[in-house]
Amino acid sequence: MTSILQPQKEATGTYTFSSRPRALQNRNKYRDPVAEQNEEQAQYGNIMYDRRVVRGNTYAQNILPISAQTDPIEIQRMQEARRRAVARKRAKEQLRPRTPEPVEGRKHIDVQTELYLEELSDRIEESDVQCQTDAFLDRPATPLFIPAKTGKDVATQILEGELFDFDIEVNPILEVLTGKTIEQALLEVMEEEELASLRAQQRAFEELRNAELVEVQRLEEQERRHREEKEHRMKQQREVLRLEKESAKKIAARAFAQHYLADLLPSVYSSLQDNGYFYDSVERDVETEFMPWLMTEVEKTLDKRVFGRTMLDMLIREVVKQRLDIFEKMEQTKHASK
Amino acid sequence: MTAVRISGNLPPNIDCTKAPIAFGRRAVPKLNEELQNPELITRQRALMSLCDLVHDPEIALEAMRLGCLESLKRLLRDVDSTVRMKTTEVFYRLATHNVGRVAFLKSDVILPLSQLFDEPVDVCRKNMHMAIEMMSEFPGGAVGLVEAGLIPRLVFKLTSELEEIQELILDTLHFCLCVDASEALASEAVSVLKEKLSHRSARIRNKAARALMDLSLGVQVCNLKHTLPSVPLEGKNKLCEEEVIPILVTLLGDPSPEVAASAAGALMSATVTTPGKYAALNADALLPLLGLVRSPQTNVCLNAVKAITVLAEAPEGRKELLKHLDLLEDLRGHDSEVTRRAAETAMRVITWKP
Repeated sequence: MTSILQPQKEATGTYTFSSRPRALQNRNKYRDPVAEQNEEQAQYGNIMYDRRVVRGNTYAQNILPISAQTDPIEIQRMQEARRRAVARKRAKEQLRPRTPEPVEGRKHIDVQTELYLEELSDRIEESDVQCQTDAFLDRPATPLFIPAKTGKDVATQILEGELFDFDIEVNPILEVLTGKTIEQALLEVMEEEELASLRAQQRAFEELRNAELVEVQRLEEQERRHREEKEHRMKQQREVLRLEKESAKKIAARAFAQHYLADLLPSVYSSLQDNGYFYDSVERDVETEFMPWLMTEVEKTLDKRVFGRTMLDMLIREVVKQRLDIFEKMEQTKHASK
Repeated sequence: MTAVRISGNLPPNIDCTKAPIAFGRRAVPKLNEELQNPELITRQRALMSLCDLVHDPEIALEAMRLGCLESLKRLLRDVDSTVRMKTTEVFYRLATHNVGRVAFLKSDVILPLSQLFDEPVDVCRKNMHMAIEMMSEFPGGAVGLVEAGLIPRLVFKLTSELEEIQELILDTLHFCLCVDASEALASEAVSVLKEKLSHRSARIRNKAARALMDLSLGVQVCNLKHTLPSVPLEGKNKLCEEEVIPILVTLLGDPSPEVAASAAGALMSATVTTPGKYAALNADALLPLLGLVRSPQTNVCLNAVKAITVLAEAPEGRKELLKHLDLLEDLRGHDSEVTRRAAETAMRVITWKP
């Protein structure tokens, strides 16, 4: 069954095929030889279910004869074998023991011989029996099996320094341990040192700063004090100036006033005199005391006279009134009597 | 030789108090997860490992990038004291790195830390104060502390704390006062510091004197207020009122040079005002100061010279100091430039005539 060989480089291959292995395709049972040859290798069958593939072990196989067709002798032989097998089977059947046929005139019948019907079953009579072994005895120890010595004795010994050198081997481990510890310690120490140096720097700066600050404040204070002092002094100076000016003004005013009032005095005297402010004391005394007394006396006297005249007037009036009354009465009686 | 075979067991846990650290990149994320574990022993062991790892700045950076700060903040409120102690220690170590401090400010760690002020366990408090002190050492941190309103609480705690913690608080206050002194003045810091001036430990005296100097210098860096002249004067007046100056003068004769330097510094800033000057002169500050001028240490000498300069503004001081001009002449040849300048200024002021 050669197929179209794939063009292959046969030079590099280890061997060449006369017939290249290829997957076999499914064939129809009744194949059309004409159509088949033109068919492409479309379907591949499953090798496991291919009846052409030999299965099973191969070391006791019926190897097919070279010619595929069976000989007629073989066919005959096979048929005979088949026939013989059938006959054997039939014979075996017949040889099976059976109950003999009944004698003439008799018939086989099933009869119950016992009183009671017994059910035949497969149940087997059983009974329990126990058995117990004796208590365990300690098995004595097996004697040590020392096999007979065979072979040559060989010994070996590991001397010091042969497997490894401790000092050299321990070096890296130690290095790592100490290295790590020291590294950690250095880290912490450096931290502290860093902090300390930062603080020292800060302190130096602070000192400078404080010094400068105090200087600034002191100067400020000084400045303020000087300024205040200056202002104070200036104010004082101004006060003094003002006072001076005032006193100068006062002096000028006084001089002027004096001058103005220089001839005031005689005129004052004269007007006072005119107004009678200078007086003779006796005269004044007489005038102030004597005259009022005199006047009061005169008044008194005059009052007395006036009083007297008034009394007289009253008397006269009284009398006149009485006389009038009498005269009226007289008139009335006169009229009445008329 | 032994065969190279990778064992199927985990490596033996040598230190069972620490959680085993995963390899390489997984170390910090795994520890972060373990920190949030509800079981106590896991958290404790994770904290111990984290504490050791955080020394390395790279690991610290990674830890903060992964958000360990949030879990640590939550752990601050844990009931177990070991957890709190280790958490505060981790915070302290993180604060020693600059990235740590910046991250603290960004994630607002100061407030949760400050809630531990009243913590009963001493070590926790100490670690917490160390962390806060680290924070205050750089200007942004000091501003943050001031804004969180920690100064009055720190001053209050100063009276009642252990010595070591007092030192830490004084350090923190020193840096915060450089930023803003007015809050401290308002919370009676002067009287508290006055007590500390007579403490038996030299370091505490030194730091208290330094804090007083800052108070009376009263620089204001933060932009909350712009009233520049008022705060310095306030501080100095407060110092005069509380009669701190005589104590400072006695401290000038202290055996420890640091204390003397700080006392001279405080004096130099407090005597800028006139009542301060006369208070110092009445307390006979000149002789000790002149003694300090001869000291080899730069800052002692410098502060003393500055104090002398300030005191020389007053006429009585000038009279007295005219007799000691030669001392200052010697200082003209000092190594440090600042001291030389200060000596020249002092001489100029002393020989000034109105």
